Amino acid sequence: MAKNLVKWPVLGVALAWGLTSCQASASAPEIDLGSGPAKVGTIKANSLKGVTLTLTSWGGVFQDGQVKAASDPFAAESGATMLQDGPTEYSKVKAQVEGKNVTWDIVDTDVIWASKQCGPDGLFMDLDMTIVDTSHAPANLVGKCYIPAMQYGYVVVYNTTKYPTPPTGWVDFFDTTKFPGKRAIAGFEDIAPGVFEGALLADGVSPDKLYPLDVDRAYKKINPLRSSLIYWKTGAESEQMLESGEADMALVWSGRAYAAAKNGAKIKPVWNQALIIADALGVPKNAKNPKAAFAYLNYYLGATQQAKLSELTSYSPVHDEAKPQLDAVAKQYLTTDPQIRKQMIPSNSEWWSKNYDTELVRWLDWLKG
Amino acid sequence: MSLASEGARRRTWSTVRPLLLLLPAYALLIGVFAYPVLDSMWRSVTEPTAGWGNYAWALGSSGNLAVIGRTFGNALFATMVCVVLGFPFAYLMVISAPRTRAILIAITLVPFWTSLMIRTFAWIVILQDRGIVNSLLAGIGLGPLELLRTNTGVLIGLAHVLMPFMILPLYATMNSIDLRLIMAARSLGASPFSAFWRIFVPLSVPGLAAGSLLVFIQALGFYITPALLGSPADSMLAQSIYSQVNGLLAWGRGGALGVILLTVTLVLLGAVALLIRIGHRRDVSVGIPGQ
Amino acid sequence: MRTSLPTKIALWALAVVVSAWLVFPSIIVIPLSFTDKASLVFPPSGWSPRWYERFFSNPAWTMALGNSLLIGLLVAVLATILGTLAAFSLRALRNRSLANALKLGLLAPMIMPGIIIAIGLYALFLKLGWVGTLHGFVFAHTVLALPFTVIAITVGLAGFDAQLEQAALSLGANPLSTFFWVTLPNVLPSMISGALFAFVTSFDEVLLSLFIKSPYLNTLPVLMYSSVTRNTDPTLAAAATLIMVITTVLVITGLILSGRKKHASVL
Repeated sequence: MAKNLVKWPVLGVALAWGLTSCQASASAPEIDLGSGPAKVGTIKANSLKGVTLTLTSWGGVFQDGQVKAASDPFAAESGATMLQDGPTEYSKVKAQVEGKNVTWDIVDTDVIWASKQCGPDGLFMDLDMTIVDTSHAPANLVGKCYIPAMQYGYVVVYNTTKYPTPPTGWVDFFDTTKFPGKRAIAGFEDIAPGVFEGALLADGVSPDKLYPLDVDRAYKKINPLRSSLIYWKTGAESEQMLESGEADMALVWSGRAYAAAKNGAKIKPVWNQALIIADALGVPKNAKNPKAAFAYLNYYLGATQQAKLSELTSYSPVHDEAKPQLDAVAKQYLTTDPQIRKQMIPSNSEWWSKNYDTELVRWLDWLKG
Repeated sequence: MSLASEGARRRTWSTVRPLLLLLPAYALLIGVFAYPVLDSMWRSVTEPTAGWGNYAWALGSSGNLAVIGRTFGNALFATMVCVVLGFPFAYLMVISAPRTRAILIAITLVPFWTSLMIRTFAWIVILQDRGIVNSLLAGIGLGPLELLRTNTGVLIGLAHVLMPFMILPLYATMNSIDLRLIMAARSLGASPFSAFWRIFVPLSVPGLAAGSLLVFIQALGFYITPALLGSPADSMLAQSIYSQVNGLLAWGRGGALGVILLTVTLVLLGAVALLIRIGHRRDVSVGIPGQ
Repeated sequence: MRTSLPTKIALWALAVVVSAWLVFPSIIVIPLSFTDKASLVFPPSGWSPRWYERFFSNPAWTMALGNSLLIGLLVAVLATILGTLAAFSLRALRNRSLANALKLGLLAPMIMPGIIIAIGLYALFLKLGWVGTLHGFVFAHTVLALPFTVIAITVGLAGFDAQLEQAALSLGANPLSTFFWVTLPNVLPSMISGALFAFVTSFDEVLLSLFIKSPYLNTLPVLMYSSVTRNTDPTLAAAATLIMVITTVLVITGLILSGRKKHASVL
């Protein structure tokens, strides 16, 4: 009898919880987003009652920003339930699309990967332009199947207490005699512009002759650095490495450096030859409710939302009239600031999307040591 | 029909009926265990193209060889740490009074029912740059040591998680050793050390073998602890499999690495099973003349 | 056997170190979960229950806790039923080598490296659309839990005197009531401990769950895993403490219950 006394309350509680968690997978009703052309940043009130959408992004300050700036108000206005997951794993997107079991309705990816996903062989659906209004987004960052999520920089930051004489560029990043210490770089199942460009620039390649990348030469430059490298697997982990002082220098997404600095990390960015990149948002094919997902994209691009996102993350807005009120720290990391932008160099997403697969395999093999 | 065939039918029925009870368990086992495992083995020779390409990759690239070598090295090292610390601990359990012994057993069991995730998380807290170990070291003017995201961290975590698997079999074996044998040796003039070394230690070998095997095999296939305490550059075999399948959807390559891991595990298990059997036979043959 | 004093001192010194090493990481999360600061510095500078408030006010955590409890219970029930049937079947089989082979088959998930089961299951679940489903989790965890229930109940049956059953039968009880009134009460303690093992196996499982989770269905250990790499705030310590309390209570309850039953059967 004693057994029952213990078991049934527990079972009851568990069942209740289980039922609430099952609600999420209920199928969505037909939705009405209103008539007329789409207007950026708006959503018809209560039009998505009963709809559940999952935003998948890269965690940490960026995803928190996206949730606060876009997901929360979107949920409040539309009545949709917004879930979040992460970090983005490209293989999961592929597995979900091919398995016709898509649980990620909106996925944040880098622009290079997104640009490969348009068309019949890609994994993203073409944008429904009757729902998404991209007229205020930077035209070069809008694709057939994706919108920009934000613009940012891939930048080296350094610990100001460790290096009283600051490093000034890629040459110093690769110079462990003048600047001894741990360098943190990305080390997970993805590859993007960054350390390869840096290695070539440090090796004396001029910025205009960077592409096509001489990857062999880049590895030759990176190899001696190996013993000084540590690796972050998520953006949030890179923030932590900067805050704890574990990394003396780090190649990170600019917003992560901002978050760390805001939390008191003694770091400064080196904008000289930092790389310009952008993230994209797309809707995977076979998504359960593409209309609602596109409505989210349209809302996400709004001026208020973008201003708020920028204030929270220091990432540059993708609405031409967004007027973020940035704090002093964020201003140091805003890559669209002309003073910063003129020092940075663009990355070539065309080259990267062509060589992504082979270079990823090679990189992961190198990483294993 | 005749009584004979009726009896035969009854006999068949009495064999088949128990098998029916096994059906549900085996249905689950075949559907959700055997089939998927065999399927990923099959993929290792069929995806993306038929042939041994995935194995050529798995055993041909320097990166993979480094991972395989590191996996073996780590498993071996963790086993050794467990032996060195576990043997005296188990010995102390055997020679101490019942109440002390119960406490020591309880201590060994605590990690067993604390979730793996909790202990790994705790190690992160302990090992991080400003963690407990490093604040202690700083207190005595040393450090900081780099522990988290290094192979050292992985080894500490591995040895900790696997320690009970060494202590418990060792204790079970040692507990069954007749300590009078050692007293007999002593009374016949053996020094305490040689009595211990030449009688007690050999008799505890079965427990040592079982414990080492349990620790070694589990260390080979470990994922959570190295993934959270180590860096991607110190990855072990299970992490490589994870990254191939979960990160790249390279089912064939992940499967090939998996088959290699499984083969090693089974060969080791087989070898030890054989050793134990030989050991038993020798015990018996030695035992008979004495009886 | 006598051991010399220096040896004894050395042994004890080592034992204290090893004991601390074994126990410390298991319990350090408890004080950490009551820290008043948003950092995991040990020892905490002050005390506060706010990380528990944070845990219970965050639907992601409470939902994961609920899922873990639900999945664990279903796994315990399913694994115990399957394991009981299997254990009785193994006992009834006359052909002992067949029985041993079949038992070995049931224990196979125990020696199989988890990552190999995980990638196989992931492929299968993708095909079936079972990723992130309740039944997917339950089936996957039951496979891992089954060996524990089989072992526990087989051991329980081995200690049970089959003559009691024959006595009941010869006294006129039919097989069904013999099973319910004689066999079952005697095997119940081992069924309970098997069920508890099954629950704890499921409640702790991370690796398989990492592959088959979805935003709709997440378990507590998986959420902990993904949070560890994102932000190590003390909510994690609160979650860890809760898991620990639940498992400890269950294990102790199980021990007490099975102990009581054992006494009853002796009476």
